[in-house]
Amino acid sequence: MMKKLLLITVIFAALILPGCKIGASDAASGKLRVGIVFDIGGKDDKSFNAAAWEGVKRAAQEFPIKLRDVEPGEPTSIEPSMRAFAERGYDLIIGVGFAQAPIMMQVAKDYPNIHFAIIDGAIEAPNVASLLFKEQEGSFLVGYIAGKTTKSDRIGFVGGMDIPLIHKFETGYEEGAKYANPKIQVFQNYVGINDSAWNNPGKGKELAKAQIERGADIIFQAAGNSGLGVFDAAEETNKLAIGVDANQNWVKPGFILTSMMKRIDVAVYNTVRDLVAGKFVGGVHMNGLENDGVGYALDNYNRPLLPQTVLDDVERVKKEIIAGKIKVTDAMAK
Amino acid sequence: METLLQIINLSLLASMIRLSTPLILAALGGLFSERSGVINIALEGMMLSGAFTAAAATAKSGNPWLGLLCAALAGVLVACLHAVATIQFKADQVVVGTAINILFLGIPALASGAMFESTGATPQLPREQVLPDWNIPLIDRIPKLNEVLSGHKPIVYFALLMVPVTYYILFKTRFGLRLRAVGENPEAADTAGVSVARLRYAGVLVSGMLAAIGGAYLSIGQNSLFTRNMTAGRGFIALAALIFGKWHPVGAFFACLLFGVAEAISIRMQGVVQIPVQFIQIIPYVLTLIVLAGFIGRAIPPKALGIPYTKEQ
Repeated sequence: MMKKLLLITVIFAALILPGCKIGASDAASGKLRVGIVFDIGGKDDKSFNAAAWEGVKRAAQEFPIKLRDVEPGEPTSIEPSMRAFAERGYDLIIGVGFAQAPIMMQVAKDYPNIHFAIIDGAIEAPNVASLLFKEQEGSFLVGYIAGKTTKSDRIGFVGGMDIPLIHKFETGYEEGAKYANPKIQVFQNYVGINDSAWNNPGKGKELAKAQIERGADIIFQAAGNSGLGVFDAAEETNKLAIGVDANQNWVKPGFILTSMMKRIDVAVYNTVRDLVAGKFVGGVHMNGLENDGVGYALDNYNRPLLPQTVLDDVERVKKEIIAGKIKVTDAMAK
Repeated sequence: METLLQIINLSLLASMIRLSTPLILAALGGLFSERSGVINIALEGMMLSGAFTAAAATAKSGNPWLGLLCAALAGVLVACLHAVATIQFKADQVVVGTAINILFLGIPALASGAMFESTGATPQLPREQVLPDWNIPLIDRIPKLNEVLSGHKPIVYFALLMVPVTYYILFKTRFGLRLRAVGENPEAADTAGVSVARLRYAGVLVSGMLAAIGGAYLSIGQNSLFTRNMTAGRGFIALAALIFGKWHPVGAFFACLLFGVAEAISIRMQGVVQIPVQFIQIIPYVLTLIVLAGFIGRAIPPKALGIPYTKEQ
């Protein structure tokens, strides 16, 4: 009897504890209610999810909304989390990450009166805003910076999960590097082929070390938490890394050349703003260089690493991309 | 030939040692527990507890050695939970182990929320707060060998040292003899006046400590932070290594090295050889299957493994 009781207690605790926060009451108080469902990486990845979290938090400060978030620990808990928000009649549900697109497509169909927003996914429904980014353009710019900065003519790319979305980063980066420096060699690796690839800094570090051994002196990571291992490798070997999604220059000052900023925060913020103003529009919202949806990060942490001539060049390249004079391949368009 | 050299070289061996370290410690931990007759499927949870505690304590105190100590203590505490449930209350060992694994998917998220206002990650430590790289005095001067064996984190040497130490404890000391006796034939050991419960407690607690140190290597040695579920199944791989090392420290050690080298090769092959990533990444597992199916004979577990012992009146 005792042992059964103990077991039940342990299992119960394991299931309930992580979920505690969600139980809190969120009865409507006239405020619009916004729910956000994060990707597997969780909102502390200092990158992709962190940027989305930044955006909704800023919105929650400025507008009278009630904000609730869920971090599904595994892919199977995404759907119940999303449906839980829908069943409670939230006004806007934001899904972070391409993996949620098929799920949201279904849920959005079942709840046509609720607004949805999906990051990195395209859903054709009038009540869903699809927030898409031209990652290839921002990656082209950081690739260009890497191509101008490398001393060994060899640079690397470490991706998280091997999926078409991350190929967009890789292709843009490589094209940008080659545009700056035609004889450059670009190594590319992926951490893995399932969700755990976003959460494996050890492997990210090993991959980066292997690239550094082969002569790479700058490595661009698009790998969520695994990318933090790439930063460690750069610091240990005194090389440079390039951050992704959020401005990550602060994570390892002096070792991060720049960050490919994907302004998920702005896109999410704008969506909430539109909702509050009653101007929510479904359909594709494309964010590229022209509307500062993507870009490279420049602040006091990395300014010493970037000479003015490089900055002038990269601004010129940016204008040419916007004007359509330089064509960057979209790896997902094929 | 040139591509082959890019994959198989000295740094591959160094990488193998780094990747094997957490596995070796967890497998040796599992060995102590299972040789005493207690199945330890909770290695994964114990590693997670160690990894999180090490990173959290280091972030709070700024001292990785203190972090390491806290991790070892945390591992012992978690092992206590396992031991009390399985030895004292004779609960099913597999179920308790699974419960602990699930528990430690959740606890770091909860604790990091309270400590760092985060959900499952700890802040990234500056480089001087991660365990230092140690150069080994003599080996350091031998070319080639120094590239492989020197300049690792202290936990790496600890793991390598623990292999002969475990062998010695298990096969050359009275404690080891009794531990094995309790795992093979507890009735006989009991008749001879050995306390089955006490030895099993010892086995499980040591197991928790070693697995937690293995976990600490991930968060304050190899990396500089804890991220959610960062062990990514290493506890289970260690368990597999233990089984196809036939519950022997040296066998388990080589099994861990095999996993380590397979992963190191898969890391190095990517981008050098024109093979899809998906294929490269199954190499460690295919290798395991081949080894398990073809090269080792039957692995015979300790006879009393998994059976709670009830003292005869």
